Amino acid sequence: MSEQQIPQRNNEGFLEDAWTWTPEVAQAIAAEDSIDLSENHWEIIEFLRDFYKEHEVSPPSNRLFVKAVKEAFGEEKGNSIYLMQLFPGTPAKTACRIAGLPRPTNCL
Amino acid sequence: MTEIQTLHILNKSPEHPRFARCLSMAGPEDGILLIENGVLGLGAASARASGKLMVLAPDMAARGVNGGAESAEIIDYERMVELTTRAQQVISW
Amino acid sequence: MSTLIVIDQPPYGSWAGREALDMAFSLAAFDQPVSLLFCGAGVNWLRKGQEPGTIRQKSVEKNLAAAPIFGVEALLADGDDCNRYGLEAEQLLDGVTVVQADSQLFTNYSHTAFAG
Repeated sequence: MSEQQIPQRNNEGFLEDAWTWTPEVAQAIAAEDSIDLSENHWEIIEFLRDFYKEHEVSPPSNRLFVKAVKEAFGEEKGNSIYLMQLFPGTPAKTACRIAGLPRPTNCL
Repeated sequence: MTEIQTLHILNKSPEHPRFARCLSMAGPEDGILLIENGVLGLGAASARASGKLMVLAPDMAARGVNGGAESAEIIDYERMVELTTRAQQVISW
Repeated sequence: MSTLIVIDQPPYGSWAGREALDMAFSLAAFDQPVSLLFCGAGVNWLRKGQEPGTIRQKSVEKNLAAAPIFGVEALLADGDDCNRYGLEAEQLLDGVTVVQADSQLFTNYSHTAFAG
């Protein structure tokens, strides 16, 4: 997917409209960060998509992202090291960007 | 210095519903501190408050309020911080 | 050190309540015990079946449902105010506890803060 085919995004690379997202869009955005999406990535991405459908909000901060993942998958995956390995930088921001969600409000 | 059970920090002017609610909830063991627009209710609060009434000096000065404080203690920020740490509970209205 | 955040304003008319919700989530993020109390017109936050897509806003009902996931300890509603707005227990969001919002309730929290 070329840059032109990714739906409209803001200046930080987050989709303007979460409903324009497709798995192909996720791959294209992940590729910009040189992330090759594995099954472990998809598990978190699908979790975030469901979370957004259910709550109409991105986890507002990195801590709350980790907390929500822990609530869903347990300690083994709900910890910042695991999530940082999958989504480098600020995991909540990187993961939400790839999952097509709005920018977490309280992440710097 | 007398201990305060609950410190009520009131920043609403008297027309706001929370102003009356705060005054009715505060008991004789409590302190009521008027800050921001709350200082405009100094007269109203003096007449009705059952707890110890205090008012924040810089917020009074900012609004040119200087009367009606006979029954209230005028305090500065430092004292306000001290009060919040000493009270058993703090309610920010 | 337990905090009670009080929302006494209706949803959708202003941002005050959403800011309060954000504050509650932030406290929970740092594992500070926090609960939310809805009273006055604020009880309308808890009504089931909100569809604010019609006014292009996000659903506070759905946002609130994330509170337990983020670690907010309790969602409380004042019983008298629920009655005033015709809200029966079965019309309230799941997990809401109906209480009497009086000075006795506030003594359970070291800090109570009204939103907005």
